[in-house]
Amino acid sequence: MKKLLLAASAAALLAGTWLAPAQAEYLKEHRGGTIRLLARSAAGTLDPHINYTDQGWQMYQPIYDGLVAFRKAEGMDGFTIVPDLAAALPQASNDGKTFTFKLRKGIKFSNGQEMGVKDVVASFQRIFKVSGPTSGTFYAGIVGADKCLADTKNCTLEGGVVGDEAAGTITLNLTKPDAEILYKLALPHAVVLPADTPAEDMGSKPIPSTGAYMISAFDPNKGMTVSRNPNFKQWSEEAQPDGYPDVVQYDFGLSEEAAVTAIQNGEADWMFDALPSDRLGELGSKSMDQLHISPLSAWWYAPLNNRLAPFDNEKARQAVAYAIDRNTLVKLFGGKVLASPVCQVLPPDFPGHEDYCPFTKNPGTKWSAPDLDKAKQLVEESGTKGQKVTIIVEDTAISRSIGVYLQSVLTTIGYVADVKPISSNIQFTYIQNTNNKVQMSVTQWYKDYPAASDFLNILFSCASFREGSDASINIAGFCDKDIDAKMQKALDLGVTDQKAADKMWAEIDKQVTDKAPAVGLFTPKRLDFVSKRVGNFKFNRQFNWMITQSWVQ
Amino acid sequence: MSNQAVAMPRKTRGPWSVAFAKLARDRAAMASLAVFLLIVLACLSAPLYAKWAGVDPFASTLDAVIQIDGADVPVMEQSTEGLGLGYTPLGPTWRLGNYFLGADSQGRDVMARMLYGGLSSLLISGAATIFTLIIGTAAGLIAGYFGGITDTVLSRLLDVLWAFPIYLLAISLSIVTIAQGIRIGPIDIESGSLWLPVIIIGIVYVPYVARPIRGQVLSLRHSEFVLAAINLGVPGWRILWRDILPNITTTLIVFVPLMMALNMLTESALSFLSIGVQPPAASWGTIIQDGQALLYTRPLVALVPGLAIAVSVMALNVFGDGLRDALDPRSKVRLGRD
Amino acid sequence: MIYAILRRFGQMLFVMFGISVIVFLIFFATPGADPAARIAGRNASPEVLEAVRHNFGFDRPLYVQYAKMMEKIFVTGDLTSFVNRGWKVVPAVMDSIPVTLSLVFGAAILWVVVSIIIGIVAAATRDSWLDKLLMALGLLGISMPVYWLGEVMNLITQSRYHDSWAFSWVPPLGYKNFSDDPKGWFLTLIIPWITLAILYIGIYGRVLRAAIIESLQEDFIRTARAKGLSETRILLRHALRTSLIAFVTLFGLDFGALVGGSALLTEVVFGLHGIGKLTYDALQNLDLPMIMATVMYASMFVVIANAVVDFVYILLDPRLRTS
Repeated sequence: MKKLLLAASAAALLAGTWLAPAQAEYLKEHRGGTIRLLARSAAGTLDPHINYTDQGWQMYQPIYDGLVAFRKAEGMDGFTIVPDLAAALPQASNDGKTFTFKLRKGIKFSNGQEMGVKDVVASFQRIFKVSGPTSGTFYAGIVGADKCLADTKNCTLEGGVVGDEAAGTITLNLTKPDAEILYKLALPHAVVLPADTPAEDMGSKPIPSTGAYMISAFDPNKGMTVSRNPNFKQWSEEAQPDGYPDVVQYDFGLSEEAAVTAIQNGEADWMFDALPSDRLGELGSKSMDQLHISPLSAWWYAPLNNRLAPFDNEKARQAVAYAIDRNTLVKLFGGKVLASPVCQVLPPDFPGHEDYCPFTKNPGTKWSAPDLDKAKQLVEESGTKGQKVTIIVEDTAISRSIGVYLQSVLTTIGYVADVKPISSNIQFTYIQNTNNKVQMSVTQWYKDYPAASDFLNILFSCASFREGSDASINIAGFCDKDIDAKMQKALDLGVTDQKAADKMWAEIDKQVTDKAPAVGLFTPKRLDFVSKRVGNFKFNRQFNWMITQSWVQ
Repeated sequence: MSNQAVAMPRKTRGPWSVAFAKLARDRAAMASLAVFLLIVLACLSAPLYAKWAGVDPFASTLDAVIQIDGADVPVMEQSTEGLGLGYTPLGPTWRLGNYFLGADSQGRDVMARMLYGGLSSLLISGAATIFTLIIGTAAGLIAGYFGGITDTVLSRLLDVLWAFPIYLLAISLSIVTIAQGIRIGPIDIESGSLWLPVIIIGIVYVPYVARPIRGQVLSLRHSEFVLAAINLGVPGWRILWRDILPNITTTLIVFVPLMMALNMLTESALSFLSIGVQPPAASWGTIIQDGQALLYTRPLVALVPGLAIAVSVMALNVFGDGLRDALDPRSKVRLGRD
Repeated sequence: MIYAILRRFGQMLFVMFGISVIVFLIFFATPGADPAARIAGRNASPEVLEAVRHNFGFDRPLYVQYAKMMEKIFVTGDLTSFVNRGWKVVPAVMDSIPVTLSLVFGAAILWVVVSIIIGIVAAATRDSWLDKLLMALGLLGISMPVYWLGEVMNLITQSRYHDSWAFSWVPPLGYKNFSDDPKGWFLTLIIPWITLAILYIGIYGRVLRAAIIESLQEDFIRTARAKGLSETRILLRHALRTSLIAFVTLFGLDFGALVGGSALLTEVVFGLHGIGKLTYDALQNLDLPMIMATVMYASMFVVIANAVVDFVYILLDPRLRTS
């Protein structure tokens, strides 16, 4: 952990000085204008302590700040943690259980209030008071969190987050060392809000912010207006840089086809939703310089219910993994440029990732072709041939087509399969609840932060499985005591030696993949389509396109 | 010579044969009937067409390659210009039996799916029409004849059903039943069964039929022959069955094509919203839904089923008009087709 | 009179109560619709799930939840959405009404005027090629699925021929406020007006034609003819008046339903955030508060429209006034 922090601070220093001159010049030339964004619908609540969507998190970047932040840079550099509201990265003490942050002075909220120690302490308490989605998972390691989870209204986090007004410091105490704590503090769930923000979901009411921008208007049916924070003075270019457009106008309601047409006609600048597949050919040939393809740390996968027939049988699961032609799925998603086949859990470029694919014609590191013969043979051996299987997918064009294809594959290898598309709004919770007896489904998982545990531990540990609950993210119901113990060892090892821990995660990845609790399908790339006038497109690996770092004039 | 035929009393033609003779003279109605029957026939031959063309319209065949004029043509063409993004399905080949209308996004033969889809749409609309007519007539008869509390309760129920926004009813029923099916006592309908859209569409239009029937039954109830029967002590159900029902038959007959037309449109809207027929089965509505994602590259996939629906619905409407003109006694006042 | 009005009002309350109960029950019977997990967020721990469930009152019995929801809609007016938290549902419904009204009023004017012209011309030139053509076109209008027609319109005006002189004036999809941009408001709505009107022109043209032809057979028309009045005068002044009765009653019912949000597919296809789109989104999102609000609103309108139509029918048809 110490090595990581030192390396991070050194890199931050160097990068910061290198970035300065170019940005200042560009700002003079290109500052101003209104950038117009489109999305099918609003992203839920405006409250950063509760919102858990990619759409929301992307927009929060220029608006809110936490003690630390992910560097606003492209490439793998964007995964580095840099100090934000804290003056410097903290030194860990007490065997890695205590972190002391010195707060920067002179930062104001968009309503004019000075940001201080009391706001930081109140914000940490608020995470629990509003029952934030990750309060019981990411932040449960803070001292006093257990009391807060039991009694949210009177949460004090006593002993957990201690503020010292005179010294201007905040001390964070954990119950045990956590290698990922800085990542967790850089997420929107831990941003600093004014201490007097009500301890309930703020829903559609904008909360004052410290960043370069603030939310000035919001109607979940029509759109959101984000404009410059009048009280903002840039303190760290790599954590919270000044932005180019004066206003970000984010409109809701247009369908994807209409949005593409609007961007083509120059009436809008970007759309959040996935591009409809029938426009891809046209865009790929006529508007090449307006398209940006960026890697994502995510996977589309098909969880198989390990506790229900026929997939309680390991051979049956492996048969499915062998039979699926991942190239076809890539075609359905839009082609080789937009997706790559995967067999394993961890996405490429992720810490702990080592190419591995056993479920293909020539098992090795990469997937090449489906092995239908082996699949059929496995189905025979498993004794599950002829059983009925229902695949539950989301009701979107791509998910439906993937579901239809999978149904075809399962029928070919000997099952009686059918597919059911369910409204996207309930599909995710529906497939998690064991009461619904879902045998197979198709879903995706996008990283929360760059750590192998975010995929392996969260999706496949015994603790992530809950009977009869809508929140049982271990959808496959996979529970292997040995692998569980190994994951715990890897987590502990990461506190002192992340490299060794990553090697362990690579082994765990292989072991979990071999048992095929879920079938890896492909890893998607992010396709961003911008209008002709958008310049300086920069993609951050953690939060996607850095909206305010592009200009429109 | 007494070779003249003795003047025998001529058999007068009954009202039904008069009506149907009139219908037969109505050229527009007959032409529409022919068109509709042609469509039905084409759809019934769907399995034959699929066999002849050698395609399985329900299996995803993205990697299939077909022969056109001796050359190998892939069913899904990858875009080769620029970034090479996206796959476009084959366009119409205009060769019967060989992807006549091209392929859809799963590489399936659209023409074959159109025929199967028509079969589903027709089956569902037909069954839903029967369902609505039976239930609606029963409700109308009972409410109109027995009056009093029965009428009030039934009428209020019909009011609720009528005011209930149809899409909400259909979507809610579908969401509940799609994953699990319905299990009420001995009735066990599996999800994915075509019975579900039939019941949903059927229920929604019950007030549409029940109200006019109720009105008619109400006026019939006060007619002399019914009053006479009641005074004679004929039991209620007998009167309903023997006296009232035959008099509303013409209304019911006229309802059939019109309700079928309405149901076809509704079924397509529901399938379009993913709550009617489930994949990979086809109906004209689901093909339009598939075509929506291909609107900019292969518009035919969305246009053809829409046109098919329009033609079928038109034919049914014209025939229904003709039927109404022929059977409705009031039309006797008008000489010839108006 | 008063008694009749009260009775109608009672009917309306009963219908709305019935609908709200059904919606409520359907929602809770839907597997996966339990809002607690969706509100709590992905991978929520059991404690968080419990806290959310308690805060929103999902652990109370159904009838208590129902009563609370009705109270929040009608008494306090602060019912909030499950999906977009903090968003008050009733004001949202109110806000979207002007959009639907703009769409429906414009389309109604269009279809009433055109269908009256078509109905009169068709009836006047009965059995001629013009009559047959008009009726066929009307039939075509009825037979096309409206969402399909909308998509085709979009394909033509927004994409394929957008740059041609015919359609370059078509603005991007989406509603513009009348108060902000009257010209934009008008231009944006032209294509949706036409799309929605086509369906109804078909129906009303045919209905009017049939009604006019029927009333031309009536005795009082024969009297007028015997008196020597011109055909045109008979058609326009006498036959039309009686045939409008059927027209008006049908119009009232359809208009009421449309204002209540049954133009939902049209609104969705054209990106107009009216009450129909609100309903559609609420259904897709399984957002019970919003569904409840939009359904209450829609059913209220349908029942009111029914009552108004019955009333107007009595006013218009002198034959009924005496009964």
